[in-house]
Amino acid sequence: MTTSTPVRERRRIKVPPPLVFVLVLVPFLIEAVGVFWPAIQGISLSFLRWNGIGPATSVGVQNYTDLFSDPIFLTALKNTAIWIVLFGGISFVAGLGVALLFQSERRGVAIYRTAMFLPIVFSLVVTALIWGAFFQPNGVLNNVLDAVGLHDWTRVWLGDPDTALYAVIIAALWREIGYVMVLFIAGLKALDPSVQEAARVDGASAWQRFRFVTLPQLRSVIMVVISVLLIDSLRSFDIVWAMTGGGPFHSTELLSTYMFSTAFSAHALGYASAIAVVIFVLAIAVIISYLVRALSEEKES
Amino acid sequence: MTRKHTRWLGAVGSTVLATALLAGCVATGGEAQGPKEGPDSDGPLILQSRFTDAEKGGLENLVKIFNDKGEGTVKINSIPTSTFNQQLPSYLTSKNPPDVYTWYAGQATRDFADQNLLLNLDSVWDTHKGDFPENLAKLSEDSKGTKVFIPTNNYWWGVYYFKSDFEKLGVTPPKSWDEFLAVSTKIKGEGVTPVTMGLSDNAWLASAWFDYLDLRINGAEFHQDLLAGKKSYDSPEVKKVFTAFGQVLPFMDPATLGTTHNQAISDFSQGKAAMYLLGAWAQPAIPADKKNDLAFFQFPIIDPSVPIAEEAPTDGFIASVKTTKPELAKKFLDFIASAEAQTELAKGQDGTALPANLRATVNLDALATQGKEMIQSAKAVTQFYNRDAGDAQQTPADTALTSFIANPGNVDQILKTWEDAAQKIRANS
Repeated sequence: MTTSTPVRERRRIKVPPPLVFVLVLVPFLIEAVGVFWPAIQGISLSFLRWNGIGPATSVGVQNYTDLFSDPIFLTALKNTAIWIVLFGGISFVAGLGVALLFQSERRGVAIYRTAMFLPIVFSLVVTALIWGAFFQPNGVLNNVLDAVGLHDWTRVWLGDPDTALYAVIIAALWREIGYVMVLFIAGLKALDPSVQEAARVDGASAWQRFRFVTLPQLRSVIMVVISVLLIDSLRSFDIVWAMTGGGPFHSTELLSTYMFSTAFSAHALGYASAIAVVIFVLAIAVIISYLVRALSEEKES
Repeated sequence: MTRKHTRWLGAVGSTVLATALLAGCVATGGEAQGPKEGPDSDGPLILQSRFTDAEKGGLENLVKIFNDKGEGTVKINSIPTSTFNQQLPSYLTSKNPPDVYTWYAGQATRDFADQNLLLNLDSVWDTHKGDFPENLAKLSEDSKGTKVFIPTNNYWWGVYYFKSDFEKLGVTPPKSWDEFLAVSTKIKGEGVTPVTMGLSDNAWLASAWFDYLDLRINGAEFHQDLLAGKKSYDSPEVKKVFTAFGQVLPFMDPATLGTTHNQAISDFSQGKAAMYLLGAWAQPAIPADKKNDLAFFQFPIIDPSVPIAEEAPTDGFIASVKTTKPELAKKFLDFIASAEAQTELAKGQDGTALPANLRATVNLDALATQGKEMIQSAKAVTQFYNRDAGDAQQTPADTALTSFIANPGNVDQILKTWEDAAQKIRANS
């Protein structure tokens, strides 16, 4: 008892050095001006009707109620869900698969790894150009299909509402898989090989070693990858914008592209802000629910 | 634990409070600020330009001539066209906006002028009485008749083709709609795509077909009323326009929705497609060795009883009402309006622009002469869909026209959706 009192006493009067205040306050101010302030403005804009030049009028929650009777918004919402499942899911599975395949140091494996990683060095707009040329009506894909006698399979890939979204997802995947692979390889390299060895000695099959030894050890990397993929899916914009602009007739519209065109082509800033708030809420909800689960799991173990 | 909770609650509470406080602070009021009084402030006049590298030569030359006069300095600030178009509202409403801008005549300018964002240019127009044709004066005014725009040039739209291709295909430029359909049938029979369009990255090009079909079937007056919201897109008149557009679809490249404009131009230049409805701005994209072969014909007449109207989009300049150098801005725009400047500007535009000032002297090539005569003989002149209806209306138009190309059978639903979207945008702005 007597020993603890002076410690407490000392702690109470201790003032952190000014440097700490500077280190906390300066980033906070930068963040406040660059992130919080615009975000708050966005939220307050979403209750207005404003074209950016005239006086704004307050419309309450009408922008939000309008959203759910707006067929383009519903298409964009559906496409965003498809995007998260296909783009996120395939990137995850394929990235992990390729990482497992290329983790061991064999002769020439570095070439494959580099080849998988290479697409990341291109900007998304360049990626869009390359894939645009691939998918165009007389482009590589249709020519190959023609050459192997599959003329019936040829399509106007980016101009057909049934195929355009998937064509864009393929282009986005091409770039994302290499990135996810690198994250997983880094995780795999950090694992202790003796654990694998022990499992092998105990007679575990390859699948069992993967399922019960490798995967649990990768948990923290998986958490990072899933967060990255979710955020990447929700903020996907550039590749869609560059390849289709959300068309043909809104069939490839994501929430992000619809928000952009509503704000800057239709000049409906209030309505666009409401879309932005929806994206924000979705992102926060997905990330928080994921983090809560991941953290509670960590606590259990 | 409880202490942590209190801290959390405190943080959340203050955030909510801050939100509530700040929400009232967003600058969303329409500021009706008057022009600056007194002498101009120092520094160069900033000219915000959307001209691409290919177009800006003439403008740079103009600015140089003006700067050499010693009346003040003008500095060009070049912005990529699409960024410029999206950001212009932000420029004009900012606290210290650039002074002078390149822009489009008509509704596109009126939208800003009616919010008191543009400098009154009546005095510049007064010194140039008689220099500009009457129809351009109308296009340069706000709703109350104040001049806010200085026109520099306009251009024409036509159905472009190559003379040698038409000869090979054995067809001559059609004058009437029936002739146009007959020519298209003949061309298709020869295994060539009659009509092309690059809609995958330039969906707005389809509006040229809509504009012209509406002008030819319902006339300019109906067209303007429709675009202004006085008539509706699901009316029988517009249905007729789409019926005519449906007659063109079998002759159109089936891949048009997935084709870029560059690809379409390349197909057209290589003779894979015979006709392309374009504005004169597209001429420089034609390969140099085919330029002499290029020709265009007036959009075919559908109903001879409808007075002929042509699209003649007009470009020019506006100035911000908040400029700190209104005198210099007017001096510069006065120079821009002069025959001397417009002659100079036209030189840099590759023969695809007709000077607005009637006294400007330019050597027009065959196409430009034809275009000028076509516009001058027209009973009415329109701008283009987005310039007449307002930029915000372009997206629903693109949606309607491209979805009609994909599903022509859906026309009633498409027109209904278009009307709803157009009304919503009008209500929102």
